[in-house]
Amino acid sequence: MGMGLTIRGVEKRFGRQQALAGVDLEIRPGEFFSLVGPSGCGKTTLLRCVAGFCRQDAGEIAWDGERLDPLPAHRRNLGMVFQNYALFPHLSVRENVAYGLRARRQAPALVRERVGRALEMVHLAHRAHHFPGMLSGGEQQRVATARALAIEPRLLLMDEPLSNLDAKLRVEMREEIRRMQRALGITTLYVTHDQEEALALSDRIAVMNAGRLEQVGAPLDIYREPATPFVAGFIGHTNFLRGVVTAVAGGQATVSLQVAGTAPQGQERGQEGACQVWVPARELAIGVAVTIALRPERLSLGAPGAANSLPGEVEEVVFLGAVTRMRVGTAAGPLVVEVHGEAAGDIKPGAAVLLGFEGAAATVFADAAQGG
Amino acid sequence: MDMRPRAEQRHEPMQGKRKGRMNAPLAPAARKRAVGGRDPWQVALAGCYLLLALLIIYPLSQLLLGSLRTGTGSWTLAHFRDFFALRYYRAALEHSLYVGLMVTVFSTLLGVPLAVAVARWGVRGRALLRALVVLPLVSPPFIGAYSWILLLGRNGWITNLLKAHGLPWLGSIYGPQGIILALTLNLYPFVFLLVAASLSSIDASLEEASANLGATPGRTFRRVTVPLLMPAILGGALLVCLTAMADFGSAMIIGEDYLVLPTLIYSLFFNEMGGQLAMAAAASVVLLVCETAVLLVERWYLGRRSYGMSALRRTGEREVSPPLRLLASAFTYGVVGISLVPAAVVVVTSFFPSSGPVMWPGFSLGNYATVFYSVPRALFNSLYLSGISTLLCVVLAVVIGYLLVRRSSRWTAGLDALLMMPYAVPGTVLAVALISAFGGRPLLLTGTVTILLVSYVVRRLPYAVRGVTAVLHHMEPAVEEASVSLGASPWGTFRRVTLPLMMPGIISGAVMTWVQVVSEISSTILLYFGPWKTMSVVIYEQVMSDNFGTAAAASSLLLAAVFLPLLLLNLWQGERTAELV
Repeated sequence: MGMGLTIRGVEKRFGRQQALAGVDLEIRPGEFFSLVGPSGCGKTTLLRCVAGFCRQDAGEIAWDGERLDPLPAHRRNLGMVFQNYALFPHLSVRENVAYGLRARRQAPALVRERVGRALEMVHLAHRAHHFPGMLSGGEQQRVATARALAIEPRLLLMDEPLSNLDAKLRVEMREEIRRMQRALGITTLYVTHDQEEALALSDRIAVMNAGRLEQVGAPLDIYREPATPFVAGFIGHTNFLRGVVTAVAGGQATVSLQVAGTAPQGQERGQEGACQVWVPARELAIGVAVTIALRPERLSLGAPGAANSLPGEVEEVVFLGAVTRMRVGTAAGPLVVEVHGEAAGDIKPGAAVLLGFEGAAATVFADAAQGG
Repeated sequence: MDMRPRAEQRHEPMQGKRKGRMNAPLAPAARKRAVGGRDPWQVALAGCYLLLALLIIYPLSQLLLGSLRTGTGSWTLAHFRDFFALRYYRAALEHSLYVGLMVTVFSTLLGVPLAVAVARWGVRGRALLRALVVLPLVSPPFIGAYSWILLLGRNGWITNLLKAHGLPWLGSIYGPQGIILALTLNLYPFVFLLVAASLSSIDASLEEASANLGATPGRTFRRVTVPLLMPAILGGALLVCLTAMADFGSAMIIGEDYLVLPTLIYSLFFNEMGGQLAMAAAASVVLLVCETAVLLVERWYLGRRSYGMSALRRTGEREVSPPLRLLASAFTYGVVGISLVPAAVVVVTSFFPSSGPVMWPGFSLGNYATVFYSVPRALFNSLYLSGISTLLCVVLAVVIGYLLVRRSSRWTAGLDALLMMPYAVPGTVLAVALISAFGGRPLLLTGTVTILLVSYVVRRLPYAVRGVTAVLHHMEPAVEEASVSLGASPWGTFRRVTLPLMMPGIISGAVMTWVQVVSEISSTILLYFGPWKTMSVVIYEQVMSDNFGTAAAASSLLLAAVFLPLLLLNLWQGERTAELV
């Protein structure tokens, strides 16, 4: 087994904009790896550098220890699925899928067999003679995937392949992609801005922001233990509380929360007990400014046993079926709470509630200059 | 927005051979480095620069130098001083400006209401109208002028009819009014086509939003629709102005002693060959300045005001009352009908028996026999020269268009600017410039076919390039990237993906080049020699020597050479033809 894809120190600058500021990444063979991040974070640029459509300014890209970056794009043997599919409008579905094989001068019999297999896999054998313009969005997406897979690439690159589909189809297609990827065991580098899609599909995820990797890890680890406030805010919904550590004792840190609309400095320290919370101390020290990230589902309503509680008033209730999401105004600012079960749907705006959470449920970032 | 800088794409060197097997083991890194030869597209770019510098910059600078030199070779401003001091010259400038202005005004007054009527007021037969309206645009204006003489001239059919019934005729068709009539009916389609295209690009929701905010239909039209149409209206008007001021043929045929700049240049050039060449150059420079000014105004205005709309939902026809619709239909079919009269008159009278300027109803092929008997090579010359220059133009346009869009960089920007220049160069001016540049050593081209081809290619190249770039801009670069990522070499990608997808643009560009070149007269008449007389020159000569029957037959043949390719193009790609004129 080889080493997969190695990206080392890759930088890319467009004019005055630093698109990639030194990216290091290893993607293991057979892995489904996603790059997620907001628009302009550099994820597509990184993908295009791997594909060979743009040349990095510094760093190297290698497959199984062999440098890819000196190779022109057409000799890298990487399959790519484009955001808008980029199907050849003047060629039929069959000819589109056969294109890469013909470019490699494969024997006609082999081309026919491979194309047939690829179309079979995406359930489009019956559409082989249609032209791309006659297909639905979902079908076009599947042709694009079949075309990229037909050349049996060492690595499959997917650039937001589902972003042009409607919500229901998107969920169906992502299951389809996952099934195919597992069946073929093909190493896949997947770019998306949709964190939910990345969580659902990936073995591992890299969260990117402003040309850098914020965190790399398995979906569950990233969700549970975000490394930075940015990751906490980008992956899943998160409430942020700002405050200052006022005491550390017995593995617990006391954090005096910043009251909404005021500075977090000494004058209101300990002024109101309701605005103090206790979190695991770890390496926190007295006087450190912290940001506390709290998932909406880790907050409970009026749980008497909770270590921390914040009184508040319900401002808005959104009933979503299995989950009820509400916004609760507290002294530390509005917090989003998600409660399971339909009973919470009866709560009306204006009701006074007590929000509770365990200290261990919070992720604490020391001295985070940036918010969400 | 993710950044995908097309300009930064690596210029991959061409690969001669493809890998024979799938997943073939790749050559060691050292060998791959060796592919860094010269990018053939860079060589092409350098070649294009050289060619355009030689064929555009060099002649125009020779023209300017020629206008600033005396017969003995010393520098002088005398030619320009004379031009503005002497009534004879200055009048031509004033005439050109007057004709340009009037044709622009009348074309706008016809073109805009026509576009609104067709797009919004439910005039029936929209597709037919769009096709018909292209015909006057591609008919040579001198045929229009000649046809109006047949109808309204001193011995015209309508003039005689009115005289026979004792009705007064309002005035003469000769002079500025004739030029303006012929050119307006020839050029209003520019305004119509641009405004109609713009109307259909306005998203329905914009006008709906205006109505929803409480604006009456009239207010919506004034405050939303018209401002959005303004770039198209002005773009069309300036295009008309540019073409009208450059026109030589109709002014020559119907203007009589009303000289405009192109006809002045022609007469300076031919009446006293040699001594007046510098004066012709000076007049050419003046015309060039006028044209450039109009072109710059157009670029400046459109640069500031292009809204880049593309309608998600096109605005449909409005509910209009039957009388209004009837009125709109009458207006539309009336204007389009009148603008088609010249072509119809020419074709019908070409079958009349004739003797000199006298024709009488009947049927005879005598006129055609005369054409083939007296100028047997003219038809062949026209077709041959048009064919060759169309081919040259298309090949160059594909290379340049690809460079401009897909290899765009600082370097190609200059090429783009260079290509703008021919828009402002009237045929007459280009001819004088080419003679100034290539009339002697080291590059003697006058009296060769090459100089004719050069003049055709240079003037039509920008249009052909625009056809190619329009298609390329429409084409997602991702399609080409997909081909490369599937293993096709850059050259293979160009051949198997880019070129086939460009084909519609290439073919319509070729047809439009052909159409314009086959009826070209303004530079041909200065540059042709001996055996290379073309149909347009024959028509001009026959009209001038009052052989109206022969002229009609020659004109009909020319119209067939123009319309047949257009018809085929129209059948092949349908309604899109109108957008590419």
